[in-house]
Amino acid sequence: MPVVELSYTRLQKLVGKVTKKQISDSLPFLGLDIESENKDSVRIEYSPNRPDYSTDFGIALGLQGLLGVKTGIIKLNIKKSNKYLISVKPAVTKIRPFVTGIVAKNGTVDDKTIKQLMAMQEDLHFGIGRKRKKSSIGIHDLDKIQFPLVYTTTNRNHKFIPLNSEKEITVSEILSTTDVGKDYGSLLGQSSQVPIILDKNQNTVSFPPIINAAITTVTTKTRNLFVEVTGLNKDDAEDMLSVVATILQTAGFTLESVNISGMKNSSPKLESKKISVNSSLINQSLGLNLNSSKIISSLKKSRLDAISKGTNIICTIPSYRFDIFGPMDLVEEVALGYGIHNLEPTLSPSQTIGNTNPVSVKLKSLDQTMIGLGYLEALNSSLTSKRILYEMTNRIPSKIISVLDSKSQEHTILRDSILPGLLENLSRNIHESYPQKMFETGTVFQYDDPISEKINFSGISAHKDANFTEIKSMLQSALKIGFGIKIETKTVIHPTFEDGHCATVILNGKTIGLIGKINSKTIENYKIRIPVVGFEVSLSDSIL
Amino acid sequence: MSQVFHDIEKKIIISLRANPKQTPEMLEKSTQLSPDQIRRGIEWLKLKDLTLVTESQTSMFSLGKNGTESFQKGLPERRLLNLLQNGPRKISDLQKELGSVFGPSMGLARKNNWIEANSEQISINKSPLDLPGEKTLKLIGNKKLSKTEIDFNDLSGLLSRPDFIVEDIIKTKEITLSDSAKDIELSDSTGDIDVEAKVPEVFVARTHPLKDTLDEIREIFVTLGFSEILGNMTQSSFWNFDALFTPQDHPARELQDTFYLDKMSAKKIGTSEQIRKVSESHKKNWRYQWDINEARKMVLRTHTTSVTIKHLAETKPDEARIFSLGRVFRNEKVSYKHLVEFNQVEGVVVGKDASLRNLMGIQREFYKRIGITKIKFWPTFFPYTEPSLQTMVYNEKLGKWIELFGMGIFRPEVTRPLGITKPVLAWGGGIERIAMLKYDLNDVREFYNNNLGWLRSATKCQ
Repeated sequence: MPVVELSYTRLQKLVGKVTKKQISDSLPFLGLDIESENKDSVRIEYSPNRPDYSTDFGIALGLQGLLGVKTGIIKLNIKKSNKYLISVKPAVTKIRPFVTGIVAKNGTVDDKTIKQLMAMQEDLHFGIGRKRKKSSIGIHDLDKIQFPLVYTTTNRNHKFIPLNSEKEITVSEILSTTDVGKDYGSLLGQSSQVPIILDKNQNTVSFPPIINAAITTVTTKTRNLFVEVTGLNKDDAEDMLSVVATILQTAGFTLESVNISGMKNSSPKLESKKISVNSSLINQSLGLNLNSSKIISSLKKSRLDAISKGTNIICTIPSYRFDIFGPMDLVEEVALGYGIHNLEPTLSPSQTIGNTNPVSVKLKSLDQTMIGLGYLEALNSSLTSKRILYEMTNRIPSKIISVLDSKSQEHTILRDSILPGLLENLSRNIHESYPQKMFETGTVFQYDDPISEKINFSGISAHKDANFTEIKSMLQSALKIGFGIKIETKTVIHPTFEDGHCATVILNGKTIGLIGKINSKTIENYKIRIPVVGFEVSLSDSIL
Repeated sequence: MSQVFHDIEKKIIISLRANPKQTPEMLEKSTQLSPDQIRRGIEWLKLKDLTLVTESQTSMFSLGKNGTESFQKGLPERRLLNLLQNGPRKISDLQKELGSVFGPSMGLARKNNWIEANSEQISINKSPLDLPGEKTLKLIGNKKLSKTEIDFNDLSGLLSRPDFIVEDIIKTKEITLSDSAKDIELSDSTGDIDVEAKVPEVFVARTHPLKDTLDEIREIFVTLGFSEILGNMTQSSFWNFDALFTPQDHPARELQDTFYLDKMSAKKIGTSEQIRKVSESHKKNWRYQWDINEARKMVLRTHTTSVTIKHLAETKPDEARIFSLGRVFRNEKVSYKHLVEFNQVEGVVVGKDASLRNLMGIQREFYKRIGITKIKFWPTFFPYTEPSLQTMVYNEKLGKWIELFGMGIFRPEVTRPLGITKPVLAWGGGIERIAMLKYDLNDVREFYNNNLGWLRSATKCQ
């Protein structure tokens, strides 16, 4: 979850007439988790579906609603203008077909605002921009740009001075030497042409989705902004633009339109949409009995507008709230505006009778039986390593099921057997007193186009007199008392067990497992200095 | 203070009351106990501050080779004097009879003026009754004696003669009763044991503490009217993500968060209608090209919701309370806070009861049963529920609210494509967090270490 750092005094100024405590008490009820607080500064986590909460301007809008300072929709006032034109050339169609934009004038940006805007940009890129693949954004100093602009492509030898640089370098150099170039260059594929926005004098404004030109850098002296968004899809690009437009208007800028044309591109409207929701769906879902006016006032506290028409509530949703898909999203908006803390939990008697799954019942009775036999239950991960599963126990791997890119070396493959894990457990307990007797029941995995999951049961006994007879007696009793079944054993050779002290476990003529004395090679691998006997049987097909 | 003593202890105390200063050897004789019993008894009494043990060194004297010969035949000078008893004798005769001791005996006898000698013969001058050393020689005889038992003046002459006396330094223990032992009452009855003494530890066989928590939670769900369903840990991306409205380009689906199984792809992931409708919902709402091959990729389930949703899509109940409990996986770096594999429980309510307030009520009841009463609900976000809440519980030890279970109503974008028409409310979360609170653990890895030191000592009911 993304994190944003805020200042209480700045928030108070933006929200108006509220105390610091009112703010800190309300943040969680907007869905914002306070991660840490330090005097005036507070770090909060917000959901990636609410990119408007990536700045204190957006959070202030939410707080105003919840605290009743200002409610209802935030309307975008976009002044029509013919001064700002972008024409789109056919060459971009196959690479990054859409561009959109807006102009924001007569505002002031201090260091904190710049920091907030940068953070918002990064969060938009990561979340709805899908790491800049779907859409990406550039914010520029308007006064450094000569309109009209052209959105076109250029070759990789095209040169300009990119952001945070002092000298002119080529597109290829940007992609191979800068951090952003290395991180996002792959989005451009192998194409020899790359997208570029050029101004009237052929000066580079932006090289989307990688980097802006240095000349348009926004500083505290900047008063007028130009925002462009490029992307694979017109709607996604406009969604992103609407968040920025709303935030900039809230920050005190006046918005002016940008005219866009060419190759299915058009000027953004950033209009609100209407969704209707039946009040009975709201009341049923929340377990409340609210009348229309209460529903409407709750929606307004969530910074939406609504009117009632019969039992329907017709809701107006600003363009930056593209997280709202349909009626159920409005149910949540009502709940938030109403206040989650005002929802009193109720408990109606259950209409259903609960049941434990029969498999769980059987496994639990097996646990009880094993405890009666003096065995302690162990739990190991299903995701383990080749070392434990094969190397230490001398087992020969067949079809290993491995996971991709594990961050942990000890967790790279799925276990096909439980016993090796128990032996590893013994090796970690050589300083503890003997006898040591442990068992485990759990899932094992086998390749079966794609995978079959079975429940196995394994146990080990380690002490100075441990022998085959003991472990066979134990398993025989466990299965007889646990499930009323009778097993037989038949000589076999296995790399983990000692020859002549190893057998298959047979139930009704079918082999279900192995039992025996662990051989000295395995024991020595684990530096265990005491005899160990053990078994493993499959429960899935024949017993459970 | 009334104390119970072992028989051995009693015998030692009684013996020391009769004879207050004894060596262990003396105690062996007086109590008729074995050396080992005496050693243990003294040790026990010493720990109870009832005896004092002082260790000292003593020289013990016994006869050497020449001493023993002298003990049997008399001292060389005594033998010389005996030969002169009946008158003077020739030197050469005496030399013949006394052999090697002739020299030393002559030296001593002349020095002490016991004899007179000229060039040919030797005669007695005066013959003392006891020669120096003779008494000591007789006293020691074949025994070993300590310094205190011997007249040291008489011994000193013998000590200077070669191989007459052997001196051994011997360490001895002397046992005495301490002051507190003097008033102790010894009970008459024999066979009593020290019931207050420490006894060896034995270890119980038991179910794993985490399993106890899992069983406890399973039981609470059943009591609340929920039935348990089981499902696979390996799932197709379709059921783990697509069916739950998580777009294929969503960051949560990336390798760095999810365990994808190497070269594993599911042939059959659902009915053709399920696949078609889910893909349409994605295309319409998320605006991208949905790819069935992405949905076929096998993953280790990141939540038990994949099992729940599959079950609901198959059964389409009008009314139900079901739950699933089991392992889930996240591709995380293992730390005291995070495991790659942990347990999760998830319950769903379908039908009439399905309101948010009711779900909050069920949760409040659930927490009450695991002993958590201070809870509150905060809004949150999950991709597949709307509205979504999380439970915050107050942790007294940390003095702050911590997040536990999540809950919400499945989005219509999830239920509708799968033909589920009734509202579905889901709630659940990780079990290890609850178990950590219960067992007061700070490191979640302990649950899977199988460290016998912990397993053998963790209290079962907390």
